[in-house]
Amino acid sequence: MASLGDLERAVMERLWAADGPVTATTLRDGLADRGVALTTVHTVLTRLEQKGFVVHDAARPRGFSARSTRADHAAELMHEVLGQAGDRQAVLARFVGSVGADEARMLRELLAGSPDAATTR
Amino acid sequence: MLPATAASLAVLAALLAWPVPALLARARWPRRDPLVALVCWQAIGLAGGLSMIGALLVHGLAPWGHSLPEAVWSVVTAHPAGEPVRGDHWVALTLAGVLAFELLGVLVLSWVRTARTRRRHRELLELVVRPSAELPDTRLLEHPAPVAFCIPGARPLLVLSSGMVAELDGDQLAAVVAHERAHLRERHHLLLLPFVAWEAALPVLPAAGRAHAAVRELVEMRADDVALHSLSGTAPRRTLARAIVAAAGGAGGAGVPTGALAISGSVAGARVVRLLEPPDPLPAAARWTALAAAGLLLLVPTALLLLPAF
Repeated sequence: MASLGDLERAVMERLWAADGPVTATTLRDGLADRGVALTTVHTVLTRLEQKGFVVHDAARPRGFSARSTRADHAAELMHEVLGQAGDRQAVLARFVGSVGADEARMLRELLAGSPDAATTR
Repeated sequence: MLPATAASLAVLAALLAWPVPALLARARWPRRDPLVALVCWQAIGLAGGLSMIGALLVHGLAPWGHSLPEAVWSVVTAHPAGEPVRGDHWVALTLAGVLAFELLGVLVLSWVRTARTRRRHRELLELVVRPSAELPDTRLLEHPAPVAFCIPGARPLLVLSSGMVAELDGDQLAAVVAHERAHLRERHHLLLLPFVAWEAALPVLPAAGRAHAAVRELVEMRADDVALHSLSGTAPRRTLARAIVAAAGGAGGAGVPTGALAISGSVAGARVVRLLEPPDPLPAAARWTALAAAGLLLLVPTALLLLPAF
């Protein structure tokens, strides 16, 4: 049984790949290998709508589409998640924060210049 | 006349608002033992707030009694003030109320706002990351830049980019994951929260910004230390240093926004230096002295506030 998170991802993949709005039945058929019921597809779509990633039209049956393209989503993700603000406000902990080109070069030289033997203790 | 308690608290508040944080931020020993230093910073923050508000409160309530419990008891039981209540008493009481409200309010606000942003980030990420096959509890993000981060909280999320996986070998990746797990396990975001909030609340106090920067650097060093303990291999220090340099080298390109160098750049540098040329660990005596000082720092304002006047 796939988790809700996996299903959300799978549904978004299909919506991003589709040319126009997709009905829930089509989505269910596309996910047939996962053995997903139509109600589950609707649950997933409702959750995605609440999070603001999916919109539906007024047609019958309803067609669902992604609110932004995959590229826009990736760009928003990079801007919001990896922007300076998140790190600064301790929203997340980055392994290494953004570093300027000069400092990056200096760090590489530092690493190259240190003898291996001195670091083994 | 100012009660001795209020005067002592005011002196303590002044010391904790400027010279003490300035000294600790400039000291060399914290990088030898980040954990003890983090304890000291928490004590300074707590004792600073306590003595600042306490001094105002004790002075404002002085007409009702010479110590806080005595005065509060008189006010609660509706005893009339023993001495005339002057304007400065009301000013002190108002300031105490405003300050307490602001410090606590900003803390709560900061917590709520951060939790909301974290949830948003998690939602954005969950649509595009997939679980890693090799590393448990780790998600992979398809992106050429070498980045790694974790989102703390009730449902933590540890994310590595495909660029990071491509750039590093197995040992180095393990080091990165161990570092991020240390942040999560020791709840470093909770240690940072008051300093983030109070820097926003007290922008006029240079010590607040200084303290925030120091604590930020120390949690990174502490996470490095914890990661080193869990790493195998011949030279874990060098492995971790290599991972930091690799992450720093590529973070500027490929769509990752870069910020001001001064904010976090020097932290990476300090970490690499510390890993390659490890300072001697703090002697046990110094460790215990620092911890005792931190305890005393909390005990003194508490005692001044609660004990009867002297």
